[in-house]
Amino acid sequence: MRILLAEDDPLLGDGLRAGLRQAGFRVDWVRDGEAAERELRGAAYAAAVLDLGLPLKDGIDVLASVRRAGIALPVLVLTARDAIPDRVRGLDLGADDYVVKPVDLDELAARLRALVRRAHGQPQERLCVRGVTLDPAARSVTQAGVAVALSAREFDLLHALMLNAGRVLSREQLEQHLYSWGQEVESNAIEVHVHHLRRKLGSAVIETVRGIGYVMGRDPAKPP
Amino acid sequence: MTLPRSLQGRLLVLVLGLVTCTWIATATLTWIDVRHELNELLDGHLAQAAALLVVQQGSELDDDHRVDAPTLHRYAPKVAFQVFHEGRLALRSSNAPAEPMRAVAARAADGFETVDIAGRAWRVFATHGAERDVQVFVGEQVASRNSILWAVLRSSLAPMAFALPLLALAAWFAVRQGVAPLRLLGHTLAQRTPQALQPIAVSGAPSEMAPMLDALNGLFRRIAELLDSERRFTADAAHEMRTPIAAIRAQAQVALGATADSERTHALRATLRGCDRATRLVEQLLALSRLESGAEPALADVDLSALAKQVVAELAPLALGKRQVVDVYASDRCTVRGDATLLSAMVRNLADNAIRYSPPGSLVRVAVSNEPGAVRLTVEDSGPGMSPRDVERIGERFFRVLGSGQEGSGLGWSITRRIAAVHRAAVRVARSESIGGLWVEVRFPVASACA
Repeated sequence: MRILLAEDDPLLGDGLRAGLRQAGFRVDWVRDGEAAERELRGAAYAAAVLDLGLPLKDGIDVLASVRRAGIALPVLVLTARDAIPDRVRGLDLGADDYVVKPVDLDELAARLRALVRRAHGQPQERLCVRGVTLDPAARSVTQAGVAVALSAREFDLLHALMLNAGRVLSREQLEQHLYSWGQEVESNAIEVHVHHLRRKLGSAVIETVRGIGYVMGRDPAKPP
Repeated sequence: MTLPRSLQGRLLVLVLGLVTCTWIATATLTWIDVRHELNELLDGHLAQAAALLVVQQGSELDDDHRVDAPTLHRYAPKVAFQVFHEGRLALRSSNAPAEPMRAVAARAADGFETVDIAGRAWRVFATHGAERDVQVFVGEQVASRNSILWAVLRSSLAPMAFALPLLALAAWFAVRQGVAPLRLLGHTLAQRTPQALQPIAVSGAPSEMAPMLDALNGLFRRIAELLDSERRFTADAAHEMRTPIAAIRAQAQVALGATADSERTHALRATLRGCDRATRLVEQLLALSRLESGAEPALADVDLSALAKQVVAELAPLALGKRQVVDVYASDRCTVRGDATLLSAMVRNLADNAIRYSPPGSLVRVAVSNEPGAVRLTVEDSGPGMSPRDVERIGERFFRVLGSGQEGSGLGWSITRRIAAVHRAAVRVARSESIGGLWVEVRFPVASACA
């Protein structure tokens, strides 16, 4: 899952980035408000962690203008401002969660996962599609009760497809989910990962929609 | 006499005391005046009665026989007369003694005299006929005059005596009404919670209370401002502590979760840096709170040149690390009266800021020089400087130029300003004309001359 982290403090930003990476997120780190807004408008992030006291443009303003632009990604505001009016204002302006520093990294990761899950209309932490069960917190996948070992990229690809079960995702969209900046993306990377996933989970699990992308259909048994 | 402690009691005592004094003075004056008038009047009557008797005796009492005049009025016993013809008692009132009422050894002693007759005081008028053969004495008991006097006084002063308690009551009520705004103020103040600092309004307060209310409200306002600034400072300080603590926590957690040694080492080093930063912040907060507690610095003669050189030497590694050049122009001995620890903290803050906020390869210039009546410290750099808007805000606690990428607390400037203020030094911030970055000047007024 690709996350945007907007934090101007070098030490804290470095720690958060490292910690969220350990939790399995792809993290892009920006240090000012204008960069944060540019990134949020330009790239597909699963969620954003936004500090409020950002240089160039305050986090609250970034949030407001991003929401005005109709960008609905989950935003977790991480700030030292803990007064109730600040929290209320942040939430009213479109923040999905409001966390006061200092924060436990595990909790931050869990909150982000929950935000992403809710944003995709998933009531449960575990995702179940077509007999495949994915646990985002444990980063584990089982099929018919048997654990399936996946690489980090394969896991992220499967996670993206399962979160958007029933929706076709283009190769570009999937690339954006999987890679943060500066990472070399080979032109057939997604095809390679899909190929590996099919080999491990069975070829019927992921369908190709020719000329558009890939989709994991909903379980026939489940109501749409 | 000590007055009562309550204003109401005091006013009451003063008003009633004054009324009583006035009343007593009036009574005394009335007494003196009435007695004088009464004496004049009654003395006149005595004299006239005597004259009448003299005239009558001259014509009628040639015969040598004594006559006792009858008592004709109930007041008469208090009045007596005697008529002597050629030394013998010719006529007298029934209550008059046989002896002359006045010793008339000296025949010339006509007129009034108060004498004692049978244990009573009598006012006696003596006169004689033209041929000096008739001697007339007319007397009146002094007691009767006094009773008239008392009667007059009683009738004029008794109503006042009755009125006094009523007056006291009325005065008590009036004073009570008059000091009601004060009592209301006291009540309002007593009812206040310690946190309540809004201005006090007393409805119907007299103009005399306005200065007091103004002073009181001014005090409330200042206290509110002070509390507000303290509260803001505490909030800001807590806020500022959160970021380094969050960083320490995040880095420590990253170290715990790290799988690679390099990752763990990186996170642990970052944790330590976070600790250093938190320590520095705490030290700065303590320094600021000490400075703001108003404690007087320990004054001594400090050579600012030597101090600047020493501080810059300590900071040199930081500058070298950024390939910066730091020039120190401090050849003269410049003595400033001040606290060496505080002054070196100030120079360190200024030089550290210049080094920290200038890009690698910049020039930093620290100069100490003598000016007429002042010692001047300037710190300038060839860095980006500050926008005029930021220059205005510099010195606000926790204000820092965002986006500098530096881990400042925004307290250094507050501290520098406070230290300058403690030393009565003037701080100016501008753009450096010679090398383009930020230019800071601190001018110390000098009582002792520079060598």
